[in-house]
Amino acid sequence: MNTVSENDFATKVMSLVNPEEPFKPVATYDRDGDCIEFLMRPDAFYAERVDDLVTVYYSQDTKEVIGSLIKGVSGFCANVLKKLPGFRIDIIDGRVKLVHIFRAKLWSSERDPVAGKTVTYRKLIEAAEESELDVEAESCVS
Amino acid sequence: MAKDSESRREGLLVQAVNPVDGKTCTVQISHARMQTVATRGLIHASECGYIVPAILRGPTAIFEGLRREEDEDQWGVGWRCYCGVPSCSYRKDGTKGPSYPGQVYLVFVNSDGVAYNWRWEKADEDNQKLPVGHADRFKRRLL
Repeated sequence: MNTVSENDFATKVMSLVNPEEPFKPVATYDRDGDCIEFLMRPDAFYAERVDDLVTVYYSQDTKEVIGSLIKGVSGFCANVLKKLPGFRIDIIDGRVKLVHIFRAKLWSSERDPVAGKTVTYRKLIEAAEESELDVEAESCVS
Repeated sequence: MAKDSESRREGLLVQAVNPVDGKTCTVQISHARMQTVATRGLIHASECGYIVPAILRGPTAIFEGLRREEDEDQWGVGWRCYCGVPSCSYRKDGTKGPSYPGQVYLVFVNSDGVAYNWRWEKADEDNQKLPVGHADRFKRRLL
């Protein structure tokens, strides 16, 4: 694999953009980071870490929650399936609803959720419910 | 932790500072990741195309070992976080805007040398070139 110059790299990335294509909310599992990234709007965002699992994305324009990053997915799924085996039935055709992952995190926590974090999780759950997104659950079933 | 995979083999290599010897190393960005950010529009594609390589080449700090609050003490060993202050931000039409005050840009690289996530975060109030909470989030600072 060749190293590309910064100019060539930028040209390659920008060539992949189709400005005519409308943005769709999306959740994707990234093997390289063992993480799930969820984005509801195409705004620029800044991130704030909520806890060991979840980082929340806030719109730079409106400061509203517009997405999140769920880290350490395979380890989290293994722990959840141990504590809450019923989680397995939420994995359908190798995919799981994003909202189930957020709920599983809250319900499997051994600590009382800190008030501020609960509010953030509630916002994420509402956003995930509204978008009805699901994500590949390969890392949960392997 | 991520293993060698198709996405690891298929991508582009860009130059980065190697915090171990101060020389240059390479970091990979997978085609899948580039495709993902491109579908999000010009803001995210521009951050990937212009800001990420600039941070990798000229970071204000590099941290290693992403901490977790629970178990798995070894999680994140070898994983690095490049931090920097971009000279600009990008708007929805792809044009440049001012950098976000009080924020830094972080690029996360796994132990295979793959950059898998990048984003703006709030800066430390005492040092605007470092991310908030840097003392607790990472195992050590390399640069």
